[in-house]
Amino acid sequence: MRLWVYVVRRVLLVIPVVIGVMTITFALVSSLPVSERLISYYGPNPKLPYTPTVPCNKLYPGEPGNCTNPIYTKGVDALGLNKPIPEQWAIYIGNSLTGNWGYVGNKTGVTGQVPIASGQPVVKVLGWFLPYTLELAALSLLLILIIAIPIGNLSAVNRNRPIDQAARVLSFSGFALPAFLLGSVLLMGFVLLIGGSNGHSPFCTGQTSYTDLYGSWPPVQCFPGGVYPSWLNQGQISSPTGFPTIDAAIHGNWWFALDTVIRMLLPAFVIAYGTVALLLRFVRNSMLEVLNLDFVRTARAKGLPEKSVVKKHAGRNSLNVTITVLGLTFAGFIAGFPIIEEVFGLYGVGRMIAFSVTLTPYDFGMIFGSTILFTLLVVAANIIVDVLYAFLDPRVRLG
Amino acid sequence: MVEEELPAQAIEKPVRRGRRPSPRWDQFRRTWYFFRRNTLAMIGLGILIFFVALFITSFIYPANSTELIPYEATNGAAPSPNPIFPQVCTYQPGEVPPAPNCYLTPTGLPSVIAPTVALSPATLGPLPFGSLTLNPTEPIFYNTFDGLIKGAQWSITISVGVVVSGAILGIFLGVVAGFYGGAVDEVIMRLTDIFLSIPGLLLVIIVLAVFAGSITSTWDRVFLVIGAFVVVWWPTYARIVRSQVLVVREQRYVEAAKASGARGGRILRKHIMPNSIYPVFVQMSLDVGTVPLLIAAIVFIGFHVFPILNFPEWGTITAFSVQGAVLYSFIEACQSSITNTCIFPWWQFFFPGLTLFLFAISVSFFADGLRDALDPRLRR
Amino acid sequence: MAAAAVREPAAPGETLPEESVAAATAPPEIRPEERDESALTHGDVILDIRELKTYFYTYDGVVLALDGVSFKLRRKETLGLAGETGCGKSVTAFSVLRLIPDPPGRIVSGKILFRGADLLWGLDKEARMKPIKRSVRVKVIHKFRRIKAASARMMAVRGHGISMIFQEPSQAMNPIFPVYDQIGETLLLHRGQTIIDQLLNATPDAPEVQPAIERLAEAVRARESTDRLKALATVVGEAAHLPSFGTQAFYSARNALSTSPDAVTADLRSSLRRLRLSGLQRSYLKNRRRQTEIIDDLREIYMREMREGQHHRLLEARARRRQFTLRWSHPQFGVPYVHRRADKPLKDELFWQTVALLEGVQIANPVQVARCYPFELSGGMIQRVMIAMALSSEPAVLIADEPTTALDVTIQAQILDLMRELKHRVGTSTLLITHDLAVLAEVADRICIMYAGNIVENAPVKSLFANPLHPYTRGLLASIPRVDQPDKRLESIPGSVPNLIKPPSGCRFHPRCPYAMPVCKESRPPMTDEGNGHQVACFLYHGPSVIE
Repeated sequence: MRLWVYVVRRVLLVIPVVIGVMTITFALVSSLPVSERLISYYGPNPKLPYTPTVPCNKLYPGEPGNCTNPIYTKGVDALGLNKPIPEQWAIYIGNSLTGNWGYVGNKTGVTGQVPIASGQPVVKVLGWFLPYTLELAALSLLLILIIAIPIGNLSAVNRNRPIDQAARVLSFSGFALPAFLLGSVLLMGFVLLIGGSNGHSPFCTGQTSYTDLYGSWPPVQCFPGGVYPSWLNQGQISSPTGFPTIDAAIHGNWWFALDTVIRMLLPAFVIAYGTVALLLRFVRNSMLEVLNLDFVRTARAKGLPEKSVVKKHAGRNSLNVTITVLGLTFAGFIAGFPIIEEVFGLYGVGRMIAFSVTLTPYDFGMIFGSTILFTLLVVAANIIVDVLYAFLDPRVRLG
Repeated sequence: MVEEELPAQAIEKPVRRGRRPSPRWDQFRRTWYFFRRNTLAMIGLGILIFFVALFITSFIYPANSTELIPYEATNGAAPSPNPIFPQVCTYQPGEVPPAPNCYLTPTGLPSVIAPTVALSPATLGPLPFGSLTLNPTEPIFYNTFDGLIKGAQWSITISVGVVVSGAILGIFLGVVAGFYGGAVDEVIMRLTDIFLSIPGLLLVIIVLAVFAGSITSTWDRVFLVIGAFVVVWWPTYARIVRSQVLVVREQRYVEAAKASGARGGRILRKHIMPNSIYPVFVQMSLDVGTVPLLIAAIVFIGFHVFPILNFPEWGTITAFSVQGAVLYSFIEACQSSITNTCIFPWWQFFFPGLTLFLFAISVSFFADGLRDALDPRLRR
Repeated sequence: MAAAAVREPAAPGETLPEESVAAATAPPEIRPEERDESALTHGDVILDIRELKTYFYTYDGVVLALDGVSFKLRRKETLGLAGETGCGKSVTAFSVLRLIPDPPGRIVSGKILFRGADLLWGLDKEARMKPIKRSVRVKVIHKFRRIKAASARMMAVRGHGISMIFQEPSQAMNPIFPVYDQIGETLLLHRGQTIIDQLLNATPDAPEVQPAIERLAEAVRARESTDRLKALATVVGEAAHLPSFGTQAFYSARNALSTSPDAVTADLRSSLRRLRLSGLQRSYLKNRRRQTEIIDDLREIYMREMREGQHHRLLEARARRRQFTLRWSHPQFGVPYVHRRADKPLKDELFWQTVALLEGVQIANPVQVARCYPFELSGGMIQRVMIAMALSSEPAVLIADEPTTALDVTIQAQILDLMRELKHRVGTSTLLITHDLAVLAEVADRICIMYAGNIVENAPVKSLFANPLHPYTRGLLASIPRVDQPDKRLESIPGSVPNLIKPPSGCRFHPRCPYAMPVCKESRPPMTDEGNGHQVACFLYHGPSVIE
């Protein structure tokens, strides 16, 4: 079967899953009390509460009794909350699939931190910050592969010997150490290391070394003349692609590009540490299995040096399992992003989630939107893994 | 023709007198043998036993179970010569404190470590196992040692609750899916696909965020937390159990049971269930250690899981001890301090972090040892 | 015993002198004459296994899989190793090449002499056994550095002097690499120097090439026979001084016969391009050639170590250092694009050499097969490929571990015919392991019968079938159903194969033997010669007094 047919089939399989995820978020959104949904959409109203009826003297001073709340009815109509559930579901799915994920509330934690996002569509705001998360993910994946595969292979080949035990301890410690703790401690450690106990930055006069490693963007004082470059918009979104490192390279500003990468190195390492812990065991076990297969014995009987046997014959075969596991654990990998971005102060989608849940009222539009986005990322990663698998293993391609 | 009566295959295994040779017991002994040979697994088991003891102690420890009582701090004097491990300081209630930076805990027990450096309470008061809240200008000091011991109650209960509930739900669905097959299987598998595509932490946060507004009492919150985690975790168990059931279903003894007239329910109960749940035990033990880590992560992000900030639970304490604002204000204070002697109060995050770490790592050593001991291929 | 001649008789069936029988049962030690390789090449024994003991250390105890196996394999001889499942035949084969998986298995003691080199040299220092009190288990403490060194030393014989083919052909090849890649790897490893030399010395622009191509093209257009085409293609190859070009020309021609005969000349002329090497490619090939030289040197050093019984660490280190500097001396070949271009002629050459090799094992469409992945080929085809791969380096010994058991009977016949033909052509000694005596009757010169880890009878094939001496052999032969006696009851040997953790004492067959005597329970019968090269290990034939 041709490769692209395989890809198309794989993509089609994904659609029910995506709709299922949106159904789950719909179920959760519907469980919200109506007042919460209205607050999230319109922002808190100091004059009238979001209840179905209010005492009439709030609307028309002097009248007794309870009247229907006009804001309430207007809001309910606008959000379509009085329609039957299946119809609401259909509308919701339709909206989600076309990218209409709601608006950022105008007095929530998100707008507290990112003021220009107030009132914007969620998709647009996410689009501002997604590239940074993707860059971080790419760097982390690179680090993961560089660390996990060689150590896993070494572990399998020298089974139960000191290096295997050390790798086992490494993988367990990576699993047991919470990422935020490791990240915070490493951040503090590096800050003190670079800046010394007085904490001054060696790169940027007038700043602390903390700001050299914390946050996506260098502070204004670090730029020559204290001025942001022109391609960094007011919301600190870069143009033209939105990916900061790539844009900096496009504009020739190598210092900025390097700076962004350095800021991403430590967070990428912390993320990689957690995932390597999980992956190492699988790499080792798959390698052990492959080393017991018949063709490895044939390769040895042919007289190939052991290094060649391991690297060429066994290594390529165990790569399949490694990639599959990477696809399966991608959900867990992505789930670590909000934490790491919060620790290191990076402006990515994960940090948006953190902003949304920090202060009440929670910004539900943003929460649900970013969750669906992350789910789409996981699904896309699984598709890529399957395609890669087909590419690497001729049995899948031609079988 | 043949002279001897000795059968050609005389297998002599040491059999204890008086014990009925039963295959289950034999299997258990074999598993225990392989478990014992694994040093790391034994270390894990040891630490786990310590935690069980801690759990029991935490019920009888004289401190408040649902709130860490804050206390006043006094400012201190000159730094001591050893910045890493300051002197131990003890005194009885009613006596005069021997050194200026010696604090008495609310429970009346002596403080284990006395602080060394005097920084103003506006930044980080280096208290004995002390910790700050999110707002650096109005700090609440509390004793993390008490918090850790009392936290054992909450953390371990929540972990075990999550794991057991998740396992029950997951096993039920997994067995149903694996045994009945067909449309039921498809539906359940699609469901697990969907749930596994959503990153776990995010789903927990959403569920908590949606329902947290209406639930405010401590125990209700605890049940909400357990429920949120179960929502995220049942698919893993369901998958494991289902794949195991698919294997067990094809075994001869199931066929034999069917042939002798046993009906579905009985087969499920007596044959399939007991043989399919071994891998689940491994996964369960692994997950018990991860739950406090996830709660810590959620609190760190900013979502306050429990109704009050100074709730004695391992995750809450750890999360607050490394809040970014706290760290940043420490750096600021160091920069502006005249004497330039800044010693970062490492004990603030170290001990809570160490507790979480030891819990998770002991559990994972144990689970790993269990998995290796149960794996038939590795048994030689 | 010192005066015993080491010269074994050339043909099987001649009487072995008494001294060499005694030598076979004497405590294994290398006598001074055997240390000299030249002495052994005059002699005829190419593989001499003495008292090989292989145990498996498991949870249930120590499995005494091989308990003192001894036999000799002579030049150009096909020795069959027969026995039931579980008697240790495969274990013997793996022990020779040291492919026993180290936990849980371990070659405990013995000597395997191949061309005067003891392949098991240094065995006793590689691991220490420690029995665990109050249990049947034994703990094995490995010294990994020595084990790794021993494994590296085996590179000297594996594939090169001793080749092996395995039981399940469909599992034996790596599924993600095509056939030409895997055979090419072997060719490069063992015959790399010759191949690269040929490639470097090819003369694509010699004056005889073009006329030869013309003649071949004419033959194609005239639709002449395949043999004629083959002859003409060989001439083309000779003209270019590269036989694999002849193969390529032949297959191009054959292809052109069925598709477009007129394009043949252009086709052939363009295939000449692969022989014109650029400077980059030449330098790359010279680099590879030096690498293969170093590998050959290492093989020599290892053989010397095993022959002389002492380390030559300095030589080995020097060779490894040269290998290392060579690999890093031309960094431009590490760049993927450059590497691909430089490597192309070598890869093409290896492809066509593979095709020639597959021709040799009677595969009808070698070009397609060479391009296939192993999962696209049938079991019989893969077994041929494996045979081709094993014989590509022209080894002295070929070990075939149940090569036809996984195949059906018609394919089995074809493979056996192939092996017989190759035996005559290439002259390799074969150790054929199987449980099927009928196969051995067809192909083998000599048969060893194994039972429960011991060799019980070792005889020339006619002598074995005409006059089986050991009771086990008799039982085996009696249990074969006979077509001409359809009403006869099926005989079987009573009892079943013993548990090798606690095997029977003395002769391992005594519980099932109809002729068992009290002495059989006490001590193991030695191998005695009954004349005509027919050896048997049974107290029925020589009483205990023969044991010295």
